[in-house]
Amino acid sequence: MTIGRTIRDEFDWPLFISVSTIALFGVLNLYSATDGGTTSDAYVQQLYWLLLGFGVAGLTVAVDYRHFERYGWLIYGACILALILVFVLGRSVRGSTRWIALGGFSLQPSELMKIGLIIALAKYLHHDTKMGGRTLADLIIPGLILALPMGLVLLQPDLGTAMMLAFIFASIMLLTELKLRSLVTLIVTFIVAAPITWFYLLKDYQKERITAFWHRLGGQQADLLDSGWHAHQSLVAIGSGGLSGKGFTQGTQTRFRFLPDQHTDFPFPVWAEEHGFLGALLLIGLYVFVVLWSLRIASQAKDRFGAVVAVGVGAMLFWQTVINLGMVSGLLPVVGMTLPLFSYGGSSLLSTMLGLGLLMNVSMRRFSH
Amino acid sequence: MITLSQRREVGEFRKRYRWMALFVVLVFGGIIGRIAQVQLFQRDRWSGIAQENITKTLELPATRGIIRDVEGRVVASNRPSYDVYATPRLLRADDLDRIASLMGLDEEQSEALRKRIAELPASRRSQQIELFDDIERDQLAALDTHLAELPGLDIVTVPLRDYPYSALGGHLIGYLNEVNEEDLSSASDPDAYRPGDRIGRNGLEKRYESLLRGSRGFRRVVVDARGRALEGDRPSSLDVQMLQKPVPGHDLQLTLDMRLMEAFDQAFRPHPSGAAVVVDIHTGAIRALYSKPVYDPNEMSSGLSTARYAALTNDPFRPLIDKTIYETYFPGSTFKVVTALAALEDGVVDPMQRVECLGFLKIGRQKFRCSKRHEWVDLYDAIVQSCNVYFWELAEEVGIERINRFARALGFAERTGIGVNSEAKGFLATREWYERHYGAFRIGYTLNTAIGQGNTRVTVLQIAMAYAAIANGGTLYVPQVLQNVKAPDGSLSETFQPRIIRDVGISPEHLEMVRRALVDVVHEEGGTAYRARNEDGVRVGGKTGTAQVVSRRGRAEESTSAWYLDRSHGWFAGFAPAEDAQVAFAVLVEHGGSGGASAAPIATWVMQQYLGEPPPEATE
Repeated sequence: MTIGRTIRDEFDWPLFISVSTIALFGVLNLYSATDGGTTSDAYVQQLYWLLLGFGVAGLTVAVDYRHFERYGWLIYGACILALILVFVLGRSVRGSTRWIALGGFSLQPSELMKIGLIIALAKYLHHDTKMGGRTLADLIIPGLILALPMGLVLLQPDLGTAMMLAFIFASIMLLTELKLRSLVTLIVTFIVAAPITWFYLLKDYQKERITAFWHRLGGQQADLLDSGWHAHQSLVAIGSGGLSGKGFTQGTQTRFRFLPDQHTDFPFPVWAEEHGFLGALLLIGLYVFVVLWSLRIASQAKDRFGAVVAVGVGAMLFWQTVINLGMVSGLLPVVGMTLPLFSYGGSSLLSTMLGLGLLMNVSMRRFSH
Repeated sequence: MITLSQRREVGEFRKRYRWMALFVVLVFGGIIGRIAQVQLFQRDRWSGIAQENITKTLELPATRGIIRDVEGRVVASNRPSYDVYATPRLLRADDLDRIASLMGLDEEQSEALRKRIAELPASRRSQQIELFDDIERDQLAALDTHLAELPGLDIVTVPLRDYPYSALGGHLIGYLNEVNEEDLSSASDPDAYRPGDRIGRNGLEKRYESLLRGSRGFRRVVVDARGRALEGDRPSSLDVQMLQKPVPGHDLQLTLDMRLMEAFDQAFRPHPSGAAVVVDIHTGAIRALYSKPVYDPNEMSSGLSTARYAALTNDPFRPLIDKTIYETYFPGSTFKVVTALAALEDGVVDPMQRVECLGFLKIGRQKFRCSKRHEWVDLYDAIVQSCNVYFWELAEEVGIERINRFARALGFAERTGIGVNSEAKGFLATREWYERHYGAFRIGYTLNTAIGQGNTRVTVLQIAMAYAAIANGGTLYVPQVLQNVKAPDGSLSETFQPRIIRDVGISPEHLEMVRRALVDVVHEEGGTAYRARNEDGVRVGGKTGTAQVVSRRGRAEESTSAWYLDRSHGWFAGFAPAEDAQVAFAVLVEHGGSGGASAAPIATWVMQQYLGEPPPEATE
């Protein structure tokens, strides 16, 4: 079987087209969001990143994913090493150290770690032949696979990515069967851990965001400063878009700089303001399609590794999208979370494209033996 | 490579996919529902906020109507005041220090400013607040040059009320000050006033507030999140009114003649306090409504300090009281015409019959003193020389009921209806009233009433209106201060016609008889105001009076001025010119002593200024 035949016959066109459309919308949106501002060439950079991303995805597709299985621990180890390097070489932005400079651009290892975690968990489950329900003891090794990178990411500190790692982990583990007693124990542990997290782990500004969110959800007049201000202006942007939007580059919230971080964390309000409910529906529909498609790919995968990778990548896209949309629409507190494929940012785009390459890989090799 | 067991376990995963897909669809469904709620059902609300975000509304205050006197002289107008407003949300940390230094504030003032901004609730930080009002020219220049660097700051030019005649006519004109909670809640149009607006507080400014005010306008500008104005960059989604021109208020023209008011001010210079009214006898139009001392409306409008207010309140000459309409006095001998008319009209007396005045009258054990021994006097002589004995004798015949009846006909003990400020009603004591308050009625009460003492209380305006009725042949008019109202475009929107209260029901001959006597008060030797006459000038008819003052002795404010405050008030009321009366007047000099010496010279001099030939140098 040659690559050429595979591409012709097995290429996953629905996945490619939906992902490309989202990415293209993202570039257009970025153009509008930064039009006339000091970062007005950001969309060009994003195009370069996108080309790089598609290249990386293409390379990922070219190699049979079973090779990733074989070198799973190596990939995981390399990601961990990169996370450790952050503390040695990293540069600090707004009080947290997340980036390392790599030649001309900077890289965010925590983003790559998501893929590393998915591969490591897939490899572990691939070789785990246990039958029937799992107990807590069976969760110790996967738990450690999560705990190591999550601890490192929390130290940066990058609460959003740490949370994403946990969500990916939980989604993957839900594929396997867990004994009821173990599940209950886990839930109780979580309930106990929540106040400890609140009092000992969260920083004041993070607590403030959550408090402000609760007030807003309770319908109180939000404190229109800081995070409350961001969430409020985001809703103003979305809501004022109405059914059909104000038109491309015509969003007033965007143009007059009422949206915070409008090209990174808040690109969706820009989109919703300019293209209205119809535009928002189209964009969300594309995300729904990609996530459901990844589940379909998982269900057709020929082995455990492929299935877990597909679910992991799908979960990564799903949670990131849901948290970002929930945050900008006032359903969730404001946490730093990008909208995959759509937000400006190289590392995030690169890891997403890497994941999608893996997904395509699994999809294309579902019948090969 | 793939074992059978691994293959089976992939199938085991398969049970989960449906649940996961269902979960994905439900979560995204929830998000789409939320987006639909925000975009489709709450659209108007968010659009409104989006439009508010990018617009800054600058208030365009309405120009308040101008008040002019009868000759068109400006009595109240507007001058520009430069007020500084700030939008606290747009102020950077060091902006306040910058503003403080440009304004030249001292440490204490800038601290107070910082505190005021810091204490604002978050919900108010997007709204403009006034930082300073009516700043000095050099402050304006300093701020104006650096305005571009302070996007949170705006200088608004507001018309400020200006009263060119200062205190003159202050009670009648009134003044403005800032609206309070009560004004805001009681205004019929909830949009009419905003905190910081000024409202008419007294006088005409208060009475005609709704006409003078006009209505505010606004101008909207497009701004970015930092509040910088973006000229010519109007987004297509912005569909709000960008400009509403303010509508100026109506202009008022008064019947008042400020030249006459100035003449009174000059004539009153020797006296610390008093009042004067001049009225057109054919229309009831008020030409002068003069009260001294009086506050300066300019000062009242720009906000009084507590100390200044206390000084005004504690001033023994009561500058806050309008002595023409709000204060009541004994009418003194000016009231004798009422007694005379009552006697003539009911045929109680033969005007030619003479009575001997020995300088006093003994009734029982009481001895009533006259000003001097007048010898034999008839009614005419008694008016001219103001003989009390004659009127006492007359009072016994006439009785208190008749005196009161004619007094009421002439407008006493009822409000004149001038319609501006609070007006006192005055008082006429009846037989029943005396019985109720003093147990029994005694003839002495009638005697006191006949010469304007006792318990009769009148306002200066009431005296003027009554003398106007005597001068015009018996018509009592409503005093009016407003001649017309002009709309902002200059067209007349209302003209005020003379309003008659009643015909007083006194025969023209009797009025003529009294008028002749009044003229001789001034122009016949022996008349009580003979020394105040204008030789070869405007002839004036009138009656002097001296009103006793309720003693202030023993009061806490006892001071070196107490002797003065116990002196009687001097009255002079009448009409001019004597033979063809145009105006009636009443002049009261508080603590001026005899009316002939204090009030009459003021009246005759002012009438000369007002009605006489212009002095030679003015004709050149």
